[in-house]
Amino acid sequence: MSAEVLKYTREQIEALEVAPGSEHENLEGWVPEFATDEEINAALEKALDYRGDVTLTLKSGEKIEAYIFNRHTGPTLAESWVQYFTPKANDKRKVTYAEITRLEFTGKDRAAGKHWEDWVKAYNEKKAAGEKNIALHPDKLE
Amino acid sequence: MAVPISQMWTVSTYVLKKKLSGTKRYPLVLMLEPLFRCNLACAGCGKVQYPPHILKKQLSPEECFAAVEECGAPMVSIPGGEPLLHPQVVEIVNGLIARKKYIYLCTNALELKRRLPEFTPSKYLTFSVHLDGDREHHDFSVCREGGYDIAVEGIKEAVKRGFRVTTNATFFDGTDPNNVRRFFDEVMSMGVEGIVLSPGYSYDKAPDQTKFMGRARVRRLFRAILSNRKPTWKFNMSPLFLEFLMGDRNYDCIPWGMPAYNIFGWQRPCYLLQEGYADSYKQLLEETKWEDYGVPSGNPKCANCMVSCGYEAPAVIDGFGSLKGFIAMVRGTFTRYPDQHALNLLNEPAPKGPAVLVKIEASDRQLEETRA
Repeated sequence: MSAEVLKYTREQIEALEVAPGSEHENLEGWVPEFATDEEINAALEKALDYRGDVTLTLKSGEKIEAYIFNRHTGPTLAESWVQYFTPKANDKRKVTYAEITRLEFTGKDRAAGKHWEDWVKAYNEKKAAGEKNIALHPDKLE
Repeated sequence: MAVPISQMWTVSTYVLKKKLSGTKRYPLVLMLEPLFRCNLACAGCGKVQYPPHILKKQLSPEECFAAVEECGAPMVSIPGGEPLLHPQVVEIVNGLIARKKYIYLCTNALELKRRLPEFTPSKYLTFSVHLDGDREHHDFSVCREGGYDIAVEGIKEAVKRGFRVTTNATFFDGTDPNNVRRFFDEVMSMGVEGIVLSPGYSYDKAPDQTKFMGRARVRRLFRAILSNRKPTWKFNMSPLFLEFLMGDRNYDCIPWGMPAYNIFGWQRPCYLLQEGYADSYKQLLEETKWEDYGVPSGNPKCANCMVSCGYEAPAVIDGFGSLKGFIAMVRGTFTRYPDQHALNLLNEPAPKGPAVLVKIEASDRQLEETRA
């Protein structure tokens, strides 16, 4: 069984020895095709799942740097929307799918990297070098 | 018993009132995340990977109180991020105490000793300190040497000042059950009220995706850990939930039982999965497609989950909502769960070296299931 399985039976779930992890998709820098309704829906679904900022270009020409955290999909693009925070404002904002003409995954993917093996390797190397207080540190809030 | 009578009374009367009123879906614990900012960078964590402008945001005390009042749960867990990094966390806690909510403030305790003088001991307030094992294990698990010593210092100071304190541990693949049992002895000797534990959940945003146990392995591990208990061990959890982890009983997830509220809103469908947000708890209840989640749905994202935010609420409701459940809960509180098979599991060879404290290579050894 793998992460690609769409649906498990209860028996399969109860027998799982190891939970299949997720494949991390490298989306940083990606500019998806954004022409058909299907492409727009799929791209914004990926933007919802992305742990970095994206840049939305609107029909008006305005560019918005946004962290997308919510979406509603209605029967048409005009009735579908994403909800987001921008780096410069405190309030939650919404824009309909119909208003967006381009989507770019411009921000750093914060869910990428810092693998366990990297930590083990760094730990062992630093320990061997006699270092103390070895640690991984959170990213600086620049 | 690790949970005070007054808290048990509050929860039991709440459950009975909901049952008598015929309420089908209701919350037991609000998971209130006032911020995502953290002072650790654990490899197993999938909670805090956000851009800096999101990590700088936090809920105001008023937003916290509104969420608590809206959902009405008798208990509030404050995870994060690290809640002690919130500049108004004392105001939030005091406001919840004034509302007679039982609070579990989940902390890695790096800031606990420093901030303790700002808090007042109360039966409503428990510091739930993240401690994943003994010194070597914990430091490796949270990717920070020295983290254990700081946390233990905070625990001891909190106990000394008269606060309620529990520890909470998450166990990943490769955990040595004997090590955990020694850790329980160590923790109880610190004077804590009880232990909270959980298997790790495979957050899809966790940097490492290979250390999460499936259900069969979870049951085997927890049977080895939790059978043949020592009389000194106390658990600040439902005994029926612990039996669920050991494979003695089965529950279906009720994600609305421990809803999560944070800067984005009410998280859909649960504390672990992030598939959008609702503006209100009512909207969360009414508009989430609950049938798409949990084991019966076959959803792969729910396949390995045996975590308390989905499965402790049904255990608590079972314990307080029926005579049969209540008797099982009382029995579970005072039973030591003798089990020869579990003792045999403890005698199996353990992984060695710091790298395998929470990391284990694919094993050739075919472990047998604890109990069908």
